[in-house]
Amino acid sequence: MSLPQFTFLAPTSLSEACALLEKHQGKIKIKAGGTDMIVRLSHRAVKPDFLMTLKKIPDLNEISYTPDKGLKIGALALLREVEISPLILEQAPMLARAAHATATVQIRNMGTVMGNVCNASPSADNIPSLVAMNAIIVASSGKKEREIPIDEFFLGPGRSALQANEIAVAIKVPKLAANSGVSYQKISARSKVDIAAVNIGALITLNEEGKCKAVRISMGAVGPTPLRASLAEEFLLNKKITDETLAEAGRLAAEDASPISDVRASREYRKLMVEVMTTRALKEAAGFASQRVVKCKSS
Amino acid sequence: MSTDHNFSVVGKSLPRSDARIKAVGAAQYADDMFLPGMLHGKLLRSPVAHALIKSIDTSAAEALPGVKCVITGQDIPKIKYGNWRLVPESQDEYALAIDKVRFIGDEVAAVAAIDKDSAEEAIRLIKVEYEELPGAYSVEESLADKAPVIHDEYEQTTPNISLDRKIEYGDLDKVFAEADLVLDDVFTVHATSHAYMEPCSCLSEYDHDGRLTIWTSTQTPYFVQCLLASTMEMRENDIRVIKPFVGGGFGGKMEMRPWEFCSAFMARKLGRPVKFTLTREEELATGRRRHPMRIHSKVAFSKEGMLLGKEFNVHLDGGAYNSMGPTACFLCGNFGAMLYNYPNYRYYGAHVYTNKPPAGAMRGFGAPQALFVAETQMNVAAEKLGLDPVDIRLMNAMESGDEIPGVATISSCGFKESLIKVAEMTNWREKRKNLKPGQGLGLGCYSFISGGVFNWFNTRYNFTRAEVRAFEDGTVHLMTMASDIGQGCDTVLRQILAEELGLKVSDIRLTAADTAVTPQADLGTWGSRVTLMAGNAVRKAAQEIKEELFKMVSLKFDLNVIHDLRCGDGKIYPANRPDRAVSFGDAVKMAQRANRGEPIIGYGSYTPRNKGLVTPAFSFGAQVAECEVDKETGAVEVKFMTTAHDCGTPINPMSVEGQLEGSVHMGLGYALSEQFIMKEGKTLTTTFLDYKIPCAEDMPPGVSVHIDTYEADGPFGAKEAGEGLVSPTAPAIADAVYAATGYRCMDLPLTPQKVLASMKKV
Repeated sequence: MSLPQFTFLAPTSLSEACALLEKHQGKIKIKAGGTDMIVRLSHRAVKPDFLMTLKKIPDLNEISYTPDKGLKIGALALLREVEISPLILEQAPMLARAAHATATVQIRNMGTVMGNVCNASPSADNIPSLVAMNAIIVASSGKKEREIPIDEFFLGPGRSALQANEIAVAIKVPKLAANSGVSYQKISARSKVDIAAVNIGALITLNEEGKCKAVRISMGAVGPTPLRASLAEEFLLNKKITDETLAEAGRLAAEDASPISDVRASREYRKLMVEVMTTRALKEAAGFASQRVVKCKSS
Repeated sequence: MSTDHNFSVVGKSLPRSDARIKAVGAAQYADDMFLPGMLHGKLLRSPVAHALIKSIDTSAAEALPGVKCVITGQDIPKIKYGNWRLVPESQDEYALAIDKVRFIGDEVAAVAAIDKDSAEEAIRLIKVEYEELPGAYSVEESLADKAPVIHDEYEQTTPNISLDRKIEYGDLDKVFAEADLVLDDVFTVHATSHAYMEPCSCLSEYDHDGRLTIWTSTQTPYFVQCLLASTMEMRENDIRVIKPFVGGGFGGKMEMRPWEFCSAFMARKLGRPVKFTLTREEELATGRRRHPMRIHSKVAFSKEGMLLGKEFNVHLDGGAYNSMGPTACFLCGNFGAMLYNYPNYRYYGAHVYTNKPPAGAMRGFGAPQALFVAETQMNVAAEKLGLDPVDIRLMNAMESGDEIPGVATISSCGFKESLIKVAEMTNWREKRKNLKPGQGLGLGCYSFISGGVFNWFNTRYNFTRAEVRAFEDGTVHLMTMASDIGQGCDTVLRQILAEELGLKVSDIRLTAADTAVTPQADLGTWGSRVTLMAGNAVRKAAQEIKEELFKMVSLKFDLNVIHDLRCGDGKIYPANRPDRAVSFGDAVKMAQRANRGEPIIGYGSYTPRNKGLVTPAFSFGAQVAECEVDKETGAVEVKFMTTAHDCGTPINPMSVEGQLEGSVHMGLGYALSEQFIMKEGKTLTTTFLDYKIPCAEDMPPGVSVHIDTYEADGPFGAKEAGEGLVSPTAPAIADAVYAATGYRCMDLPLTPQKVLASMKKV
């Protein structure tokens, strides 16, 4: 399909980009890799007068790590770069797994993790693990930066807390506490390359006795935004990790989920899958935590 | 039988003649073509499933700058069309709806404009007033009392049934009374999309001499030519249909379609070329699809496992128009009793109209549905009778020389060999006993046709024809209307011709599928007819050439009449005196001189005559699926596919292998993930995001072997390959899932949700 007419803007600095954003407010859309935006344009789902690419802005694709500040993933870091980055594989391998689970390698070579986050689709692959890891979205208006906790970032399908003059420039992921583990689990109608019918990100921190010291569970595709499984989280705190407690946590997560029935899955099936995937995610995360390592292999 | 054949070109895995041009992206498909002054067409489709058209106001669309033409049903000749010309009352479609729409997507108006955006905008400006009617969205709803009547013509006779078919032989009632085991099951099978890579596209041009040329993505140039002629009120010879490269068809491009008509009609009206290209959303939301069916099958066995008889009742959910449904309705009855000896059989098939996009021909043409049922019941019977599924099949399998009553006698048949081979390759008996929890092994088999013999199109030409011109430089030119749509017949026909004439494939130029240039008479690409039928015509044409050239060689060497002459290695020579050889080119030069300059041309035709009611040749095969089922999620993973099949001589084994892999892919999607989710006639799965065709990563590994047979009716022993194999995959996977979970699927597709529902989890 052909693209509608628009003026293409390619600023070479962040301040220039933010100025353009300010100037054309309401009539401008941003693209990074373009794998979502170009499709939406060709379907006339959006009809901006201006399309601005961030691709000419230097240094927005950096992936860095410092022990005190944790991981930083630039807005232009490709899904594929995150998937195979040694730093990510070392420090937050579940982010690599989630990136890997996104679409196909051709799309991962174009699309960005930030784009997937900002598109704010409830089923996005890269959101649940970032929520589990309590990530922060850094937004810039050119003049100043602000940090948005990821729990506050998603307002609805396709809607984020970014202001009209703000560009999301980086994702910060805090360093994992000791004895922590993370997992990302996904199920979809087709076995491999597919959009998630349900996806779960989970982080568990264990204390010395093997009890749950902290836990964050994020559920995708079962509500208008990624949902936290609060009942399950409360239940697990200070509990010993056993098959029974994990099964109960899964059951409680399903209670918190509010999925709809649609062409991808029925409400009932989604609820059951929240239960199964949450239990699996917690089990895997707890496994990593108890090994006192935060590493795991990206699948 | 075939092992003695010493072929030099046939049987070789030569690269496709179109491989390079496609790999470098230089192949021109219809949508790649541009002509000076070309306009872009767009269709307005009905947003309602069943309604009377009260009025159409096109004034705003016509006033839009850039719009050159807007047409509705009121502007076109009121002539219905359809592929079943033999039964004119089955022709039930207008290119643009007149008075009534019958499905969401029914074509209502068309626009031609200077660019796509203007055409799309104009479509939005057309105002149609509908008076909505109640709709019927399933076989049950259409056949219910007081169901809405979709085509008035059938109101008085058989409301919403356009056509039915009966087959009966033997005494079934007696069989059911006396049988040791009777299975009586109702199955439902669903619609799937052809999902060809190239959406439909066509470009028409009308010249000052009154000739219309259309380049169109079609499997059947001749059908398009004939049906355009009748609906446009033109002479067939004034219409030239050219098939450019086509990106797949699978049965979905074997009719004249509204965009072909509209592009031709507007090109004639305007004197400017008009192109239409459908979007993927149009294809998925409104395009032809495989028939959903409701199948009631009652089958009887003796306690030893012998098949005694079957009653097969099939209701095809045909959608709003006949399309190719009548053929599917006929063939389903044959596929119901083709694989095994059914001494008693009764078939009733009915083609039912519903307010949904019409179902049409699709790879397998009734076989995937009929065989999902037949093979599942064989597996159920084996279990109930305590027999191995392989053994119960061997007991009942068709063999060469067996008769399908009233239909045909099976010529070549490698079915039993296929069964034995897959069992051996998979270590079937051992492996079935040692399955781990969640693992399953399942078997499915198929038989298929090598083209049809029933002339429903009512062609007055031969079924296929070839013309071969030979040149002094040692090359030949093959002209045929056989249509390569990606299945590889351009390569296969060149291999057949090269073999027959003792030339190399590179010595053969090919011009195909242009109704103004290539010989009339070819019904196109469908029903796996091309290799056998066009192949036979090509061989016959080549044989005419050979006769001419043999005379020259005989004369040159003053050969005794008892000599047998051969073509090989670019030469012609006596079989037992290869030293007395004349090059092919020199022989042509001599023959042309001897004929005082007349070019050397051979013609060959093929029409199946005295080949029974269905097809000249049957192919067979067996397939084993190995699956793992996640009992918590219901997800089925196919781990390995093993196939043994009998396609006679594989003319190009690499090409056959490609067909088989494609079949597994299509069968996998049919079994597990592909489906149109619909709500009151509206298709909700209109993109590949939600229409779940398996991806490359979902493809299981597998192996396949050819069983060696030689089909006497086929060119160099060849018969069907690759279409029939779309059938065994779903029953094999379903059987493996049963082994893994205890869930016996009788309602495709086999989704995770159904697996869990069987365990009462959802």
